[in-house]
Amino acid sequence: MSTPLFSACFAAFALMLYVLLDGFDLGVGILLLFERSEQVRDHMMDSITPTWDGNETWLIMAGVVLLAAFPIAYGILMPALYIPLIAMLMALGLRGVCFEFRSQIKSLRRRWDIAFAAGSAIAATMQGIILGALLQGIDVRDGAFAGHVSDFFTPYSLTCGVTVLAAYAVLGAGWLRYKGSEILHSFSARAIAVLIPLFALLFGLASVLSLHVQPAIFGIWQQHGILLGTLGLMMVLSALWLASAGRRHSDLSPFVAALLMVAAGVAGLSVIAYPNIVPFRVSLWDAASSRLSQIFVLVGACAVTPVVLGYSFFAYWVFRGKTPRKGWDL
Amino acid sequence: MRLDPAILARTQFAFTVSFHIIFPTMSIGLAGFLAIVEGLWLKTKDEVYLRIYRFWLSIFAMGFGIGVVTGIVLSFEFGLGFARFSQLAGPAIGPMIALEVLTSFFLEAGFLGIMLFGMHRVGKKLHFLATCMVALGTLLSASWILSANSWMQTPDGVQVKDGRLVVINWWHVVHNPSWLYRLPHMIAAAYLTASFLVAGVGAYYLLKGRHLPFARRSVLLGTTMASVLIAGQVFIGDILYGTMLKHQPSKMQAAEGFWEKQSPSPAPYYWVIVPDQKQQRNRFALGIPYLGSIWLTHSLHGRVDGLKNTPSDLQPRMAMVFYGFRVMYGIAIVMFGVASAGLWLRWKRRLFTTPWFLKVLVVMTPSGILATLSGWYLAETGRQPWVIFGLLRTADAVSPVPAKTLLSTLIAFACLYAIFLTAFLIFVRRIIRRGPEEIGAQAEASGSLKNVFRPWVMDKATLETTDGGAQ
Repeated sequence: MSTPLFSACFAAFALMLYVLLDGFDLGVGILLLFERSEQVRDHMMDSITPTWDGNETWLIMAGVVLLAAFPIAYGILMPALYIPLIAMLMALGLRGVCFEFRSQIKSLRRRWDIAFAAGSAIAATMQGIILGALLQGIDVRDGAFAGHVSDFFTPYSLTCGVTVLAAYAVLGAGWLRYKGSEILHSFSARAIAVLIPLFALLFGLASVLSLHVQPAIFGIWQQHGILLGTLGLMMVLSALWLASAGRRHSDLSPFVAALLMVAAGVAGLSVIAYPNIVPFRVSLWDAASSRLSQIFVLVGACAVTPVVLGYSFFAYWVFRGKTPRKGWDL
Repeated sequence: MRLDPAILARTQFAFTVSFHIIFPTMSIGLAGFLAIVEGLWLKTKDEVYLRIYRFWLSIFAMGFGIGVVTGIVLSFEFGLGFARFSQLAGPAIGPMIALEVLTSFFLEAGFLGIMLFGMHRVGKKLHFLATCMVALGTLLSASWILSANSWMQTPDGVQVKDGRLVVINWWHVVHNPSWLYRLPHMIAAAYLTASFLVAGVGAYYLLKGRHLPFARRSVLLGTTMASVLIAGQVFIGDILYGTMLKHQPSKMQAAEGFWEKQSPSPAPYYWVIVPDQKQQRNRFALGIPYLGSIWLTHSLHGRVDGLKNTPSDLQPRMAMVFYGFRVMYGIAIVMFGVASAGLWLRWKRRLFTTPWFLKVLVVMTPSGILATLSGWYLAETGRQPWVIFGLLRTADAVSPVPAKTLLSTLIAFACLYAIFLTAFLIFVRRIIRRGPEEIGAQAEASGSLKNVFRPWVMDKATLETTDGGAQ
């Protein structure tokens, strides 16, 4: 029966879009910490203000497809990842309200900016920690979480957390080069120059540790070596392109390179997870909901997703080009 | 004190969902209101409408933002606190929420940016379309989530096989017995909420003698909408009462405050009771004689069913259900009175010049929110001890998360949401104090769809002027 496979593909598609889209706007939030001038921070915020909400909606989409199509997995993962998930949700909430709140009182803007940056950084780190917790393996017995809520917290998951933080910051730097006016060019170039080696280092460390905490990954490399190798190569090439594009004139290429680099990473992770929905523990088919439930979601997704992509693109198109220095007019 | 994970998980869910529902209630109502007002502006070209639009848009935007971020929490909290519930109910409610995300959340998110920041970029007509799309999105969202919640109240279209739930008929799951009554009830509640918000702020300005054209139009719009809606709401509420009496008798038994299988005849209509769940009796009860028989049985001496008709281990807690219902119903009666007074004063041409009425409107500003909240308490506490009525008990649905962890996250949520609410109230107060005129009333909107697809070159040109030639 292949319906669970289609559902899983849709969930992976939503997750991929989430990581790429919210990745850059969380990244802009993280980078806000390193900019002193309030006007420049305003400009950075303006670049993501009209479209952030849609980006974040892909996270809900991925989460809800998991609930609808793989309720067993959802019921295992939520309690297992309770602490990092709640921390992530609170951080996302805090940064979400800052978009509106920071524009209300000018004298308090600095504090809201710190809250926004901290919220973005915590949310990004928690997502990485969740990834680490999934890769190191979750304690499952009889279709339920059987471990302790603090199991997630290990040096390995923390390494993954910082790695994802760096990856999002790279995306954010690429976005700022693409959407920001000239005042952000040197900031973005410096950020990329620092972040690329940092990310490479962290990613290398996380990969080595992965093989140590989860020996099953060896087997996956043997099985899908060519595919994973290609994706790895794609990541390295994008990172090199990104490192060199920072110095050239095109404003778009650093962002595209960053997107490619992160997309290759997410694709690689899905290859590692397949055919399980709780990595190394519960397969897609064991966690799947009834056939009619899958079909309801899939028919809805096939009918509506093209429209959603259409007007999401339209929203970006309306706010295309460089972000105006004085902000979007009300 | 021993900490009970079931109680903590319920408290956390109750707290986060109660806080959340305040904001969608306002967003649904205000989005519809904004669409009407922008439509009126386009039709009449009267600048007062545009000022009303811009004024409420800033409050709407803030409320919408809080609604979005507190809503994301809920979509994960099904599993965070109630893992067993999500595993069992996922096949039925999951797809409905997935469709909510697809058909509604993306629609709202896509057009919200244009609604808030796009007036100059897309022109009036397309901007109006964006407002309508956001309003439509809020309605679709309400429709799906009410369908999911109604399925938990009156489950249909499913079978349980080997401990797993199997959907056998989607139409019955979506169109379950209570959905079509609860949905209009909630939407009318949201629009009533917006009506009283708008009328209350208008009345405040009239009393202060500020922004008079804006204030008069607001009071007129608010009271007109409230009059139409409250009449409809009483009617819908009455039908819904009958539906719930049929499908969830235990809820309605608890809501009326009687314990014995048959109430005395004639039955009073209680307004204050002190119930004792253990002894299955009221320690104190105060009501209006005969009214219970008249309202509930439409006769002078009819008897009303009490909670003892339900076995004690399947009973909800009477106090919460009863007061949820009484607060909602009490507010509805006051709303009805205010709306009627408004119509009378309008006929007498004294709507804007009767201070006592304006003061009442100011006091009634948050009434819709309070009534909606207490209505949800009636719905949710009245369903207990079930999480899916008749299928799964709440106590059996709880996640394997230690009580201490639940308590810490509950406290953290309380602190975070307190910040949200405080900031929201401070900012709304500032916006109201500052008044509508300050928000640049003039919007020069140029063109239409053509403008959206104008060539890239023009963007560069506008950029150079705004950017001081940075390019």
